[in-house]
Amino acid sequence: MDTKIKIKSTNLNVFYGEKQALFDINLDINQNEVTALIGPSGCGKSTFIRCINRMNDVIDICKIQGEIEMDGKNIYAPNTDVVSLREKVGMVFQKPNPFPKSIYDNVCYGPKIHGIAETKDDLDQIVENSLKKAALWNEVKDRLQEPGTSLSGGQQQRLCIARAISVNPEVILMDEPCSALDPIATAKIEELIDELKTTFTIIIVTHSMSQAVRVSQKTGFFHLGKLIEVGTTEKIFKNPTNNMTQDYITGRFG
Amino acid sequence: MNLLILVFIFVFSFSCFFFGKSQIKKIAAVNNFKTKALPHFYGFYLSLWCALPAILIVFLWTVFEPFIVKYLIISGLEQSSLADIDHDRLNLVYQKIKALYFGTYSGAASEQIQLGAKQYGSFLAMAQNAKIVLVFTAVIGFTLVAYKKITNNTHAREGVESIFKVVLILCSVVAVLTTAGIIFSLLIESIKFFSQINFFDFLFGLDWSPQKAFVRDTSIVLTASEKQELSNAFGAVPLFAGTGFIALIAMSVAVPIGLFSAIYLAEYAGSNLRKFGKPVIEVLAGIPTVVYGFFAALTVGPFIKSIGDTLGLDVSSESALAAGLVMGVMIIPFVSSLSDDVINAVPQSLREGSYALGATKSETIKQVVLPAALPGIIGSILLAVSRAIGETMIVVMAAGLAANLTINPLDSTTTITTQIVMILVGDQEFTSAKTQAAFALGLTLFVVTLILNFIALSVVNKYREKYD
Ligand SMILES: Nc1ncnc2c1ncn2[C@@H]1O[C@H](COP(=O)(O)OP(=O)(O)O)[C@@H](O)[C@H]1O
Ligand SMILES: [Mg+2]
Repeated sequence: MDTKIKIKSTNLNVFYGEKQALFDINLDINQNEVTALIGPSGCGKSTFIRCINRMNDVIDICKIQGEIEMDGKNIYAPNTDVVSLREKVGMVFQKPNPFPKSIYDNVCYGPKIHGIAETKDDLDQIVENSLKKAALWNEVKDRLQEPGTSLSGGQQQRLCIARAISVNPEVILMDEPCSALDPIATAKIEELIDELKTTFTIIIVTHSMSQAVRVSQKTGFFHLGKLIEVGTTEKIFKNPTNNMTQDYITGRFG
Repeated sequence: MNLLILVFIFVFSFSCFFFGKSQIKKIAAVNNFKTKALPHFYGFYLSLWCALPAILIVFLWTVFEPFIVKYLIISGLEQSSLADIDHDRLNLVYQKIKALYFGTYSGAASEQIQLGAKQYGSFLAMAQNAKIVLVFTAVIGFTLVAYKKITNNTHAREGVESIFKVVLILCSVVAVLTTAGIIFSLLIESIKFFSQINFFDFLFGLDWSPQKAFVRDTSIVLTASEKQELSNAFGAVPLFAGTGFIALIAMSVAVPIGLFSAIYLAEYAGSNLRKFGKPVIEVLAGIPTVVYGFFAALTVGPFIKSIGDTLGLDVSSESALAAGLVMGVMIIPFVSSLSDDVINAVPQSLREGSYALGATKSETIKQVVLPAALPGIIGSILLAVSRAIGETMIVVMAAGLAANLTINPLDSTTTITTQIVMILVGDQEFTSAKTQAAFALGLTLFVVTLILNFIALSVVNKYREKYD
């Protein structure tokens, strides 16, 4: 299977005020693959993926230099439409954050905003499809009008995944999506990620080496704002070239 | 005298603290054991036992002494020649005796009263001596008992803790009892009122003219028609309507302005502006209401009138509109400050979730932030309403006194609070229906604001549970 580069970051530097959080990041993300980002806390993994959907725009003190190209276009070019960028790049957060609305409204929030659905039937269809893809449909199909917050943690996280895929994105960013979940819910989400990669390009930040091994094809190791090593997951975990990577994945620090 | 006794108690208990502290150290050293608590607990223990019972005795004695002396004097009088006179006369004689003793009696005093005054003086002196003896005994007795206990190295720590607990409980009991007492007296007076005035005539009557009741002598038995007429003079609907109407005008100013400024401050303003803006708005809440009152009466009222006159409208110089507008301004900070807090309490992660789906800022605020904050916002609005209903000064000064049943904002109206003020200024006859009407109005107001506050707080609390 030949791989196509979906996202390409070139010489990306990010500053929070005076403090530099990322240093010259050059990283290619392949289409329809899962790319895992690992590294100790505070090394800039979240900062990096938040650059991809320009979530860092919200933070006043955050300054970005360098380029991130998606499908060959720089998303930091002045004429970029952030709204449609975020339509194409969905995000799932560390803590499940369903809106204080019904399950149904949580999922159709995005389609409504982007005017994707014309009729109520279309909306129903989108909600059903998204929930099915997120492997949640069977559990909630009889209680779509209940508040999203009434679900369990794992269900809430899958609801957030359904919400993210409801607008048909091309890329899904996941920032430690399982860190607030129990092992069973985690297993479900990992299974889901595996299926989703046939449709979407996925970037996942994780603290669990085993999770990275299980779900990803490519892994990048960050340390102190630098991308230390990147390669196929197999190579990174079987025989990393960098000592620091070696130490980290064997649990000697981090 | 009391002061002297108290000073003595404090000095003594203060020295007891150090005495107890050093004593336990000595005892522990001599007998070679380890104290069960830190030495200063033993000091506290001793000094608390020394002071608290004595203070309690002083307090109770001071409260009950006059009653007891009075009882003694009056029963003495009863046994003497005045046995057959009634209770009120006896009281009068007692007052004369007291006045003579304190040298405020004018005119010639009868022999009996002079005798009484002498007796009164001796009773007082006796009581004084008895009090001093009792306090000394208590101080020394309790200190000795406590000292005995600490030398046995009993649980000074637990003792001190439980004494503190008792003191705290007593204070909260005082607070609760005071509130209960106020409610109770409101209820009692209202019940008296409703024994004269039909409850439903009060609640649903359309005519409020309590001055009709003023001239009546309550000791005269009324005929049925007079009674009905009296009852009809206390129809509170115009007051309820006026109160509600002015509150409505106030809320229609305060809710949009307060809410929008809260949204601006919480979501759009930079952190510097926010730090500056919020306290500035809150200053509005610190302006005394009487200042708002004359602002309404002297500036806004005449201004509205002059505008109305140029438009050819008939505007009263005291109008519901003027009072309502100014009250609205006063209430802005209640709405904005609380709303700002609840909007800020909406987790940032919800906003990010919405942005990540490509929603704009205003979409996010409208569809995610405000719905999430809604219970809290409603709570803040309800609190503001209860504030508006209870507000007195502005309406007294700017809304007028005539109980018109009107929905014309340019007309003068009156409110519950204004009428209470009107009824209770000047000389009062406490048995008249007019005076008691104030209590009935007060009770109504109390019940309404209580319900509003209750709903508001439970709504706000329910919301808190969700995000903390
Ligand atoms: N909003 C922010 N303001 C200032 N500094 C930040 C902010 N977010 C992250 N940082 C800093 O950037 C660095 C990288 O953080 P982050 O990307 O969250 O790390 P990771 O997700 O790998 O744990 C950290 O040192 C952190 O303190
Ligand atoms: Mg992170």
